[in-house]
Amino acid sequence: MKRSYLTATATAAAAALVLTACGGGDDQGEGGQDGASGAVTVSLAGWSLDTTPEFQVLADAFHEQNPDVTIDLVEYSADDYDTQMIADLSAGSAPDLYVMKNLKNFFTYEDGGQLVDVSDVAGQLGDEVSGVDAYTVDGATFAIPYRQDAWYLYYNKDLFDQAGVDYPDGSWTWDDYADAAEELTTGLDESNVYGTYQHEWQSTVQGFANAQSPGADLLSGQWDYMVPFYERAVDLQDEGTQLDYGSITTNSVSYQSQFGTQKTAMMVMGSWYVATLLAQVDSGEADEFAWGFAPAPQLDSSTVEEPITFADPTGIGINPAADDDVVAAAKEFLAFIGSEDAASALAEIGITPAVTNDTVAETYFGIDGMPTDGVSRFAFSTHDVRPENPVDANTAALQNILEDAHSAIMSGSVSPADGIDEAEQRAAAEVLG
Amino acid sequence: MVTTAVPPTGSTSSRTGRNRPGGHPPGRRLRLRNTFIGWTFILPNFIGFAVLTLGPVLALFYLGFTSWNAFGQAEWVGVENFRGLLTDATFHRALLNTGYYAVLHIPLTLAASLGLALLLNTKLRGVAFFRTVAFFPYITSIVAIAVVWNMLFSPDAGVINQFLTFLGVDDPPGWTTSTDWSMPAVVIVGTWRYMGYYMLLFLAGLQAIPPELYEAARVDGANAIQRFWNVTVPGLRPTTFFITVMLTIESFKVFDLILVMTNGGPGISTLVLSQYIYRKGFEEHDFGYASSVAIVLFGICIVVTVVQFLINKRRER
Repeated sequence: MKRSYLTATATAAAAALVLTACGGGDDQGEGGQDGASGAVTVSLAGWSLDTTPEFQVLADAFHEQNPDVTIDLVEYSADDYDTQMIADLSAGSAPDLYVMKNLKNFFTYEDGGQLVDVSDVAGQLGDEVSGVDAYTVDGATFAIPYRQDAWYLYYNKDLFDQAGVDYPDGSWTWDDYADAAEELTTGLDESNVYGTYQHEWQSTVQGFANAQSPGADLLSGQWDYMVPFYERAVDLQDEGTQLDYGSITTNSVSYQSQFGTQKTAMMVMGSWYVATLLAQVDSGEADEFAWGFAPAPQLDSSTVEEPITFADPTGIGINPAADDDVVAAAKEFLAFIGSEDAASALAEIGITPAVTNDTVAETYFGIDGMPTDGVSRFAFSTHDVRPENPVDANTAALQNILEDAHSAIMSGSVSPADGIDEAEQRAAAEVLG
Repeated sequence: MVTTAVPPTGSTSSRTGRNRPGGHPPGRRLRLRNTFIGWTFILPNFIGFAVLTLGPVLALFYLGFTSWNAFGQAEWVGVENFRGLLTDATFHRALLNTGYYAVLHIPLTLAASLGLALLLNTKLRGVAFFRTVAFFPYITSIVAIAVVWNMLFSPDAGVINQFLTFLGVDDPPGWTTSTDWSMPAVVIVGTWRYMGYYMLLFLAGLQAIPPELYEAARVDGANAIQRFWNVTVPGLRPTTFFITVMLTIESFKVFDLILVMTNGGPGISTLVLSQYIYRKGFEEHDFGYASSVAIVLFGICIVVTVVQFLINKRRER
């Protein structure tokens, strides 16, 4: 008989575990009033909280100004963020506030009715906040950006000196860039360093092609304008000026180690790398060397006054399942993340905020180890950032087709013209047809 | 464990209970309790299976006929998704690639695992060690496998191509960076990964063949090859059948290996069905269409398995 009791207890324990596991998610989504003092707790989704301090920085800075409101962070996986968030929203267990990691999935959230209209908050923001337009659909705004990255050209000043090549001066076109890459490769031949490095992502080619080509429209499915960008990239790797695509994918090469340990003199990369490089120099993962960043190369010299670059904004929206008082507090938080105070707090940890005025730039370039030359400052504060992903139902499918084209072209399996042609046909038949 | 919970007198009383239809048979209570205990043992697993596997699978057959982006109500669209599949060239390519993988992977793995099993069924010194070594890939993290094999396959600096060049091959293949060779590369890794597992099943099968049969064959003057074809192969038939069915299903639903090794590339040269389902569902949020592809994959698996069972049944006669 004793054993029957054991069985029963075990069954009960197992059942209890299952039940609590299912119910556990529920209390995440419910912020609300703590006691009668009017204090409100609002939950905010973030990813990899240990290595991504920006969420805590925003939460702390806001709480300091608004002691009544506490922002509680809920951790998600960085890689599966959108998949997990969609599942949680669908199940009604998502946090009150959640981050739009990029614009690729913003459409899914907005179209699915998973974002509160925050046009009133957007109306109060200053003109300096960049990226708000990306979250505006039919005149209504559904998220507020706190961060606006941009792609730059990173360069290693020591290696440029060694090769006797002039630093980028902010007026480079892609042809100037290719010429410099060749010169650097020749000049640095003995030390086995490449002139430039282009990471395996489709963004490194297509992002610029979409942003800079006149009349370019990702959603049109007509992508001939990408061909010259691909021809340049393929030429650079064929002549050994940059590490070839196959070596990058098969050896899982990380761009951080390529630039950080001086295996390349230049690299186009997003502004997020600034904070990473500073941290890696500190920890010893990266060498200590003189470096800087310049505006991304341009299609022609007509845009060097305000160089065109790209990157999606990072914004925060409100879960419609939140209670009214939580929504009110959440809106205060959203108004705060678009402010100069929030921008300065983010700039202190090397994040490129959505507001990049002089005060914020002062904070940003005050970080220990940050390059302080005029070109880097110009690249940080003066640019025309185009979103990488247009907000549309077809964006994700078209980007997937283009990703296939990218790997086919860069691996040398097809010529740039044929690869783009195939992609156009697939887009017409499978997505736009 | 179950029977120990039953008092020893139980078995006798249940036997007598059956002879007393009218009264209140103590046997019925006992049987009920035994059933209950049995259920409590399988219930935790069954609940998990029902909630996490059976439910979603059943939902799939509904979702395949809808348009759904994970939010709100799924909209019924009838056979629209399946009509789309008929003209979807990428789906056709994924179907073809999946078949290509299966056709290469099944015989290769079958041969490799049988070969290994025969080799390691002898009284070799350190045979346990080699058996463990052969089983290792199966329990190694797929991500680590992909990283290491990709490095081995690296077209210029990789060990494999350096070895091929050493052997005098002038133009070694580009492996995972070439649209022609990426699928063979993935098949090689797939075979290497799974052969240890199936070797273990073959080993069990080999040990179930009575040694008297070999003895008799030897007495009749059969040589090693004749003994293999006339004793080993027929003796292994149930094992071979089981392994073929498992291998077929495993080949059709290959996913993680491709995802981490090539992500379907270069281009769509290694895009397989389950990866296409993942893309359509979790990347493009078109869960209805993804479900319809999953139904097709399910259908293929069922048909192939039934055909295999029929063939096996005919051979048994």
